[in-house]
Amino acid sequence: MSKEQFVLQLAQQLSGRWTIPILLSLESSGGRFTPLQRQLDIAPARLSDNLKQLSDAELIHHLTPLERRHPLLPEYKLTEKGKLYREAAQAIRSSEAQIGHGTLSAKAWNMPVLVALNYQHGRFQEIRRVLQPVTPRILSARLDELHVEELIVKQIADQPRPSFLYELSSLSERPITVLTADLSSLA
Amino acid sequence: MFVPGFTVWYNVKSIERTLAFYTEKLGFEVLFHNPEWGMAMVKTNTEGCVIGFSEAETVEPSTSSTVFDVENIDDAVSKLKRLDVSFSGEIEVIDDFVKLATFADPDGHSLMLSEQLTQL
Repeated sequence: MSKEQFVLQLAQQLSGRWTIPILLSLESSGGRFTPLQRQLDIAPARLSDNLKQLSDAELIHHLTPLERRHPLLPEYKLTEKGKLYREAAQAIRSSEAQIGHGTLSAKAWNMPVLVALNYQHGRFQEIRRVLQPVTPRILSARLDELHVEELIVKQIADQPRPSFLYELSSLSERPITVLTADLSSLA
Repeated sequence: MFVPGFTVWYNVKSIERTLAFYTEKLGFEVLFHNPEWGMAMVKTNTEGCVIGFSEAETVEPSTSSTVFDVENIDDAVSKLKRLDVSFSGEIEVIDDFVKLATFADPDGHSLMLSEQLTQL
């Protein structure tokens, strides 16, 4: 896998409402379900689902009751991969703070689209190709939203045939460049 | 090496439900309760003997029993039954040694009452 593919996948895997908050709060909540649930103010069933997904992705390890030597010890621990993803999550948070348009990563594909533009993939079909398996409908919706938020600019290119050309805006360019470098350094 | 003091810890599904059981039905006193962290401790009526509880997503009922000594097991069982504590089986007698009655807390952790029949 090329560094670019790694970075795009990382940005995509860290999409979603709860992925980053869970990775960032797991240790401060002692790795236990109740403190984490209270800290994140999330419905218990939803937290369970998210923890299951993170477990399946091998970012966290769910300890069995037999592995836990004391009821106050963690129920979940970050794996080595999880620790790496937590660093990536911090980089995404810091980028979002610089951009100042909220938690962009809460919506799937926002960050991957911005990072793809940073890799100079400016045309719709090209972005779609590097962000597989994104659907054209979702990609189109995200590009429109990011355009409305003024995080990307849309130009018309004449060559080789008339089409839109997307680029990062002056607002997002610097933070996304830094983010791309940060994520790339984790490869 | 050891100092007086003994704690038993349990994983539980709901701290509130557990505390209601151990205080209202068994009559123990809350020593410490932190709802944010989902943990609590109750004081038994034996000095230095405490039971701790911590909420967990997955709770396996413990089969190792914490056994509480009582003066008269028949009276104690009737009293707890009136409070809707359900016992598994009848009072069991180990001749010349002990009488035992088994019940469970809300998470199914096994607990017992015991009446000594002989001085150890």
